[in-house]
Amino acid sequence: MRSLRTIVAAAVAGALVLALAACGSSSSTSSSSASANGSIPAGVLTPATESLTGGKKGGTLNVVQTEDFEHLDPGQSYFSLDYDIMEATQRQLYSYKPNTFSEATPDLAEAPPQLSNGNKLITIQIRKGVHFSPPVNREVTAADEVYAIDRIANPNVANPYYLGYLGAVEGMKTAKGGPIAGVKATGKYTLQLKLTEPQAPIVVASMVLYWTAPVPQEYAKKFDAQKPSEYGNNQVATGPYMLKASSSGKVLGIGYVPGKSATLVRNPNWVASTDYRPAYLDQVNISIGGDPNVIGRQVLEGSHMVQSDTPAAPILKLADQQHRSQLQITPGSGSRYIAINNTDGPFKNVNLRKAFWAATDREALDKLRGGKLVTDIQTHFLWTGVPGFEEAGGAAGPKVDYNENAQGDIAVAEKYMKLAGYPSGKYTGSETVQIVGDSSPPANNVAEAVNQTLKNLGFKTKLNLVEHTVMYSKYCGVVTEKIDVCPNVGWVADFGDPQALLDVPFNGNLIVKNGTNSNWGLVNHPKINAAMEAAAKVVGVKARGEAWAKIDEELVNEAVAVPYEWSKEPEIESKDVAGVGKLWNIGDWSYSFTSLK
Amino acid sequence: MSIGAAEIFQGGAGGFDVVEASEEIAARSPLQLFWRRLRRDRVAMVSLGFVVFLVIVALAAPLIVKILGLPGPYVQNLNLTDEFGSPLGPSGAHPFGVDQLGQDVMSRVIYGTRVSLEVGIVGTAIATVIGVSFGIVAGYYRGWVDTLLSRTVDVVLSIPVLLLGLGIGAACAVRGCLGGTISPGTSVIIFLIALVNWTYIFRIVRGLVLSLREREFVDAARALGASNSRIMFREILPNLVAPVIVYATLLIPLNILLEASLSFLGVGVRPPTASWGQMIAAATPIFNTAWWYMTFPGLALLFTVLAFNLLGDGLRDALNPRTAR
Repeated sequence: MRSLRTIVAAAVAGALVLALAACGSSSSTSSSSASANGSIPAGVLTPATESLTGGKKGGTLNVVQTEDFEHLDPGQSYFSLDYDIMEATQRQLYSYKPNTFSEATPDLAEAPPQLSNGNKLITIQIRKGVHFSPPVNREVTAADEVYAIDRIANPNVANPYYLGYLGAVEGMKTAKGGPIAGVKATGKYTLQLKLTEPQAPIVVASMVLYWTAPVPQEYAKKFDAQKPSEYGNNQVATGPYMLKASSSGKVLGIGYVPGKSATLVRNPNWVASTDYRPAYLDQVNISIGGDPNVIGRQVLEGSHMVQSDTPAAPILKLADQQHRSQLQITPGSGSRYIAINNTDGPFKNVNLRKAFWAATDREALDKLRGGKLVTDIQTHFLWTGVPGFEEAGGAAGPKVDYNENAQGDIAVAEKYMKLAGYPSGKYTGSETVQIVGDSSPPANNVAEAVNQTLKNLGFKTKLNLVEHTVMYSKYCGVVTEKIDVCPNVGWVADFGDPQALLDVPFNGNLIVKNGTNSNWGLVNHPKINAAMEAAAKVVGVKARGEAWAKIDEELVNEAVAVPYEWSKEPEIESKDVAGVGKLWNIGDWSYSFTSLK
Repeated sequence: MSIGAAEIFQGGAGGFDVVEASEEIAARSPLQLFWRRLRRDRVAMVSLGFVVFLVIVALAAPLIVKILGLPGPYVQNLNLTDEFGSPLGPSGAHPFGVDQLGQDVMSRVIYGTRVSLEVGIVGTAIATVIGVSFGIVAGYYRGWVDTLLSRTVDVVLSIPVLLLGLGIGAACAVRGCLGGTISPGTSVIIFLIALVNWTYIFRIVRGLVLSLREREFVDAARALGASNSRIMFREILPNLVAPVIVYATLLIPLNILLEASLSFLGVGVRPPTASWGQMIAAATPIFNTAWWYMTFPGLALLFTVLAFNLLGDGLRDALNPRTAR
């Protein structure tokens, strides 16, 4: 679950997300929040309704998490746990408050960006009075933004997504870490980005990511010259907190001990009046590792603790039954579906895909993933809180017979098997279906259930379970492997825009033939591709929602995959913690909004 | 074969039952002697009984499951899990409970016997054949043949089997390696077992042959013009049967454990095939709420390994009374 965003990184391509596009001119961004439509049990917390004000100042929060961070360099981080640190220590140009996934707020920027020259020029005023933490100590200027942008193209920094979002910035495609022609500081507090194509809305939208956190060149340059860059281990902060560091700024081994711990302390140079974050806590101690069943129980029964990654299933059950007020559920945290190869193998046949969909017991798959508390049965591809969700059928989904029965309908499946040319209602072809799934629970159980579904339809199958990352990097994400079925793929979006959900995983024009591909089902239907290209240019939240809802309908009609889970991410906290989760980061706790009771 | 006086009186009450003893002397073959000694070892006999039971369970698994009225090992029923997806515990219909997929644990434990015995017995058999063959050749010919084979054994013994298994699992998981020849599954486990275990048999056999080749019966055979192969496999080999049987019996439980370990690490048999190691691995994350899922395959593994170990001890004592405890 947590690494889904990493997956997205590998394949972000072309146009994405316009949630912030309206910032430059109006307030036409969506006011809906992702939690508005999810099914949340009574008494359980959810980020959309948590109070952002009135917390008690002071105290130390103890965080436990089984997983380690991936990259703590703002130019590189692209993982939900990394974002927990970034949110507390870095200030990007625009950011989401914890209770929204669609309305960005100017953060380091003074105001919304000004778009001009036919959406080919972006001008942003930097907020005055924001300072770097020690040992840099000075005020942040537009030049620090310029360097932060320059360095994401530095191979030593290895930013995973910049070309996908910023390819239109002049000089970006050929940049190697040096100055980029299209990025300039035209004044002490004025940043300008010049584009070669009218894609300002996309570039602006991506400014909520941490590539826009300022980096002081005079301090960071020597670290960025190393391969890989050592800046993450010697970083400075602009947010209310900083990773504990030596007097020279060294973080590694002090504020962050890989595999063991991380410590956030107050940034002495942070000025509250320049920031919307309340920063109630004095310190955050993060402990990495441990048995999830043990640490989960410690949180529920202990004091001043939260768990920042997903609790183990038994802990979740315990929380729901005995500690409901300490449980937070975040709907709209992503989706999971069975990727079916639309291009090669038996499932080229649309009727076989429909039969597979009809036969799949989605209720059972969701139960294997933890049940109704953490899943909703997925009936189509857009998800709750994202524009276009209701237009595409809402929770019930499109009215097609293979989508009617969430428990699976073998009679409907047989109908489509017959339409596919198998009069007995069972597959009698010679091809063996190659299934590659994730070996870790509960995904492995889902894969086994999917395997059984295919066997029930008469398919000969070969099921292989491999490590989560191997599943993507060696098999499901590699076009030449021609895997027939990947039952454990999932998707999270960086922004609350329908294009961010549908474009990369289902647009045939974005299939990456040499590299890691995220169109796992090799979905490549010219009509749908063309519709996506057209919908990408649509402006306005409502209009975009409607345009992408039609695409969603087409995807269902072609049964391009079998969707089964709209994810709801659970988090747990101790009784004396007033935790605030971040809706935009699958519910992870915000350390700059959370307080102790 | 001669029998000492002590043995004549062993079964009688202080040596008074002389007539019966002398009748037994006349009637006993070496096999009968072995069986008589083994029969007296109650622990070994219970173990033997358990092993025979296991073999019957493995061979008749479908029939047993049917007689017991259990669902097949691959029948998934998510209605047997609670709203959180946690499996339900033992009941009349499912004496060992069910797993996360609602599959009957007892049924899977019964079918898991097949994998354990197949891997344990076939793997050991292959290792034994290779080890005995090379061991006889090395011990009999000595010289460069012995040096070559012994150094090969040293090299093979330095291979970390678990790491090799993990490596094969990672590299050959989906498409297989060497054109699909090697892919994770029972055959690879048997290969790994044979690869490592022949070396131990080799060393034992080689040592014994080095001694046996100097005995008079070998000289006699040579003087009669017997070929080297005849001497090795018709004269010397029968004298190796007892120690080889004992050692092979003791290797079986080790191999069953190796299979369980590899399956636990995810490089053993391929799902959905039932394997005890795989079941224990799958049960680990939910042990707190589903104790039965780990307990029953764990007990099956424990008793099977114990039975083979105790049987091996019993066979050793019966085949070579001088080592009796």
